[in-house]
Amino acid sequence: MTTEYVSPEGLRLDGRRPHEMRHMHAVVGVVPSADGSALFHMGNTKVMAVVYGPHEVSNRTHQLHDRALVRCEYSMATFSTGERRRRGKTDRRSTELSLVIGQTMEAAIMTHLLPRTQIDIYVQVLQADGGTRAACINAASIALADAGIPMRDLVVSCAAGYLNSTPLLDLNYQEDSGGGPDLVVGYFPKLEKLSLLQMDSKVPIETFEKVLELATEGAKAVATFMREKLLENTKTLASARGHLKL
Amino acid sequence: MSGPHLDADHELRIAKAQRLLRDAAGGMHSRAFVNVGDVIPVDHEAGYLRGHGTQPVKEELLATVCGVVERVNKLVSVRPLRARYNAETGDVVVGRVTEVGGNRWKVDVNSRKDAELLLAAVNLPGGIQRRRTAIDELNMRDLYVENDLISAEVQSLHQDGSLHLHTRSLKYGKLRNGQLVRVAPYLIKRLKQHFHQLKDLGVDLILGCNGFIWISAASPGNKDNLPGSVATSASAVVGESPLQFEVRERICRLANSVRVLGALGLLISPDSIMQTYEASLLWEVPVKDMLSADFYVKLAEKEAEQRMKR
Amino acid sequence: MGALSAAEVSYIEGGIAQNLRSDGRGRLDFRNISIVTGVIPQASGSARCKVGGTDVMVSVKAELGSPPKGRPTHGGMMIKIECSPTAAPEFEGRGGEELSLELTRGLERSFLGGPNGSGAAIDLSSLRIVDGKTCWVLCIDGLVLSSDGNLLDALSIAIKAALTNTGLPKVEIVAGETGDEDPEFEVDDEESSQLDISNVPIIITLTKVGKHYFVDATAEEELQMKSAVSVAVNRKGVICGVTKRGGDGLDPSVIIDMISVAQQIALTYIPALDLQIAAAESVDPDS
Repeated sequence: MTTEYVSPEGLRLDGRRPHEMRHMHAVVGVVPSADGSALFHMGNTKVMAVVYGPHEVSNRTHQLHDRALVRCEYSMATFSTGERRRRGKTDRRSTELSLVIGQTMEAAIMTHLLPRTQIDIYVQVLQADGGTRAACINAASIALADAGIPMRDLVVSCAAGYLNSTPLLDLNYQEDSGGGPDLVVGYFPKLEKLSLLQMDSKVPIETFEKVLELATEGAKAVATFMREKLLENTKTLASARGHLKL
Repeated sequence: MSGPHLDADHELRIAKAQRLLRDAAGGMHSRAFVNVGDVIPVDHEAGYLRGHGTQPVKEELLATVCGVVERVNKLVSVRPLRARYNAETGDVVVGRVTEVGGNRWKVDVNSRKDAELLLAAVNLPGGIQRRRTAIDELNMRDLYVENDLISAEVQSLHQDGSLHLHTRSLKYGKLRNGQLVRVAPYLIKRLKQHFHQLKDLGVDLILGCNGFIWISAASPGNKDNLPGSVATSASAVVGESPLQFEVRERICRLANSVRVLGALGLLISPDSIMQTYEASLLWEVPVKDMLSADFYVKLAEKEAEQRMKR
Repeated sequence: MGALSAAEVSYIEGGIAQNLRSDGRGRLDFRNISIVTGVIPQASGSARCKVGGTDVMVSVKAELGSPPKGRPTHGGMMIKIECSPTAAPEFEGRGGEELSLELTRGLERSFLGGPNGSGAAIDLSSLRIVDGKTCWVLCIDGLVLSSDGNLLDALSIAIKAALTNTGLPKVEIVAGETGDEDPEFEVDDEESSQLDISNVPIIITLTKVGKHYFVDATAEEELQMKSAVSVAVNRKGVICGVTKRGGDGLDPSVIIDMISVAQQIALTYIPALDLQIAAAESVDPDS
């Protein structure tokens, strides 16, 4: 018996429509003692990102003379998934995600403006319900913006899939495990370019195009949400301080 | 630097105060605030120079950071708020020594790179002007060792982002008899004076442009206790008269005033610090309760009220 | 946060001696403590505790397991603590491993009881399902999100709150209760029972500087900690575990004195903390 991911009325398991994203929530600057930080929720997926830097390179031998060194570490709390994760911190998935998220963020940071410095990005998953990659990238983007680190553009991310012959936006864990393709994009909203594209499983090209388009639309929605949050944060900080010459 | 834990009621009051502050700042043109990737309106005809925080993309000028657009003559730049310290020549800073040796000290000033304090840029014992010798290099630790806190001035900035400090004045040097409070650099306004002597309280205040604030017992007129004097590291611990309780309490109250101002994101100046200090006394808030949610919220509400009046 | 200058150390020591620390607290004052429970919906119980700038999260997951060897009527408990790199850059990669281990051991010592299961925070026999075959195992996972000192005390408070928040699902034995067969169960998530938390301790860490002791050290105060003694005390004043941390050797009589002081402090604070946990429990959890 196959699970019905989309009902005949067009409703998904959690009641959403195929092109509907989960509720998003973000807080800028959750860890004031860090240079930049953010909390990002996509439905029940909850992620925290903290940025330290730019600062002196801790290991001089790694210093790059012409740009900033960007390091990223992805961690998943043992309790973040339904089944307790028993793997260690350095398991392959964490390592791969650290690399992917780091590279995606590095592509956005104007590293040539910060030579011989280091930027550390730490992403901590508190609750995982599908789309953790996307939530991590979104949280990291906000944290980097909070830290005042120059970027070419924000990076926004969203995932989409294909089940019961329907493209579905922002899969949750159940849908993720449904066996269909899972496509994640990292997108520069202003430059309108893709910085990251990852997909698993085989799909015909027409399906791929539909899912890619859907994921990109989702990313644009994230961008709108993110800019609103960041602008509000800037206004709050600026008005609290006051006395800014314009 | 982080604020107190707020319960639901406190959250509501803070949100309201923040809204009032935003409204009071309503004069600020909304186009002054930008996000990463936003287009900055410029007069292409009149011409402009692009400064920090901007990048040209096709025909437009985009912001590379979230912050406030600044226009000075034809220079258009975006200033981020919460960012690492961006030094300017002449800034007074407080920093922590991280490395000693090779004719210079490295000093952490919360900038993107550690600052350098060359042996040639400090005052040596036995006179101000003389050539540095090899002995001086070996004796660098007699002046400042790792983890020492010092006050200094930014001497020069270099293309590669490095900055050089100097302590060529008796008012600069090793810091004692007090505590350090760190705030975000953007909350410190550049003023003519960054050393403040609060004579009535017997307390000295240094507002480092880099967000490092030093609050200490007033140095008596005696040369040996001036921050800039070249007392050795050893004498920093030996021969210290114990701090009087009353003075310590005042230092503490001032430090907590700075902490609360920092947590609220309010401008930090001698005036704002003293106002907060005095408010805490007026409202009879014990020193340790200054970091509670109640004082935090009350102060925010008071500030909102004052701003609305202006 | 690196180290402090000699002048700062001297100032801090002076403050401790004069009972006026850098943030205005006296030696026996705690920072603001905030407790929220039910923060991890997929766990059997959870809590988040903030002590000043220290922020920790604890989840309790009740899993089906086998009773410990030689104790067929007991259930199990295990604790694992991790330090998130978000708390401090030093915790990146394997950096936080040593601290995580130290925290884990300190908590195990205080909550898990002796080798025969006696003195555990939760009466282990209350976790039995089918003697000798199946029992509940409480898996307690802690995560340090932000570190400003006194991690052990904060974690112990979070664990106590999480255990209070824990609901053990109702288990119905469908088959195989006796004999060699493996039992089969029906687990009902809707109905659950609370644990008896009357013996759950909290840990009070006393730091000794000069001839004074003080509680709830900030990260700055811990930097020049000469020695510290952590004492786990429960509501009845029973000592559940003692750990001495820190380089300097202490006279045995000093340690005994510190244990006694910690016990008194605990007895003063536990009622207030219990009230705070109860208040947290009565709040309707949002999504």
